[in-house]
Amino acid sequence: MGIVIAVISGKGGVGKTTATANLGLGIAMNDKSCIVVDFDIGQRNLDMILGLENRVVYDLVQVMDGDAKLKPSIIKSKVNENLHFLAASQSKDKTVLESKKVEKLVKELRESYDYVILDSPAGIESGFEHTIEFADAAIVVVNPEVSSIRDADRAIGILDSKSEKGRNGEEVAKYLIINRISAEMVESGEMLKSEDILDILNIKLVGKVPEDRGVIDASNQGKPVILDKKSHAGQAYVRIAGRLCGQKVDMKDVEISDKGLFKKFTGIFR
Amino acid sequence: MFDWLFGKKDSASIAKDRLTIAIMSDRDSMNELPFMNEMKAEIVGVVKKYVGVRAVDIKKEVHGDLEALSIDVELDSSATKVN
Repeated sequence: MGIVIAVISGKGGVGKTTATANLGLGIAMNDKSCIVVDFDIGQRNLDMILGLENRVVYDLVQVMDGDAKLKPSIIKSKVNENLHFLAASQSKDKTVLESKKVEKLVKELRESYDYVILDSPAGIESGFEHTIEFADAAIVVVNPEVSSIRDADRAIGILDSKSEKGRNGEEVAKYLIINRISAEMVESGEMLKSEDILDILNIKLVGKVPEDRGVIDASNQGKPVILDKKSHAGQAYVRIAGRLCGQKVDMKDVEISDKGLFKKFTGIFR
Repeated sequence: MFDWLFGKKDSASIAKDRLTIAIMSDRDSMNELPFMNEMKAEIVGVVKKYVGVRAVDIKKEVHGDLEALSIDVELDSSATKVN
């Protein structure tokens, strides 16, 4: 029996799909079987980030409606055999989802994989609610920026009240990823520190990802940035995937720039 | 860099203060609407014309894309007028 994790954010454009793709691949690289499912019906994107857009034959909605079988609809990653993928429908609207059908699909996937990762749509409407309904845990992705943090708090509120676990009075585990951190801006007081964000949202931190040009370069090519060993964001995802697989990985402080470090060192000799 | 000398806050701490307040009020308004008390009083007024009322409870409910107000009116049978 695997664990079902929904990746949520409230606000769009904060890197939710990028996080889903990289964590899925990162978990697969830890020798666990993992499927990433694109629940963003109507705005299919996870296939592009994974570089699998040409392989999509059937989508999630067709599977849930019984128009396609589950097995042949699942696409295997080219880079890691442990990673599988189920695409969102591009033509349908996100209101097509139904609780019963989502529950059945999630149950089937949970039986066959160690990790089931659901990429939720932005916003807090029905598509989002269906994604979180049967999740055991949620990864909340935010940018260190006011609108992202405020929207994340609302999404967390709905997660707590609308998920099956929440309704039964159980706690849905929640883990925060702070994405697109600029160390220079944090040092100069122009960007919220991660402690401040944690204070406000009051959930556990699972990782900090620095701003990195490599992320767009990676998405251009359809190769998740975690494959780029030199990329700082890629290394951050390696650490987060390790934590999700139960390893103890020290939190690297991406909020200190090289310049800041240099200042610290020179300070010692003054 | 010496902004603190002149009492000027950096923008990150302004963001923290503003967010703390905004999120506190967001969390409250998940259950409470600003016009709630006024609306309750009016509903009591209308229903009272016909039957006795003990209490009115209004909740905002959100089901997917549908938002609804659920209004519970508890009757006071001892005060119910019989025509």
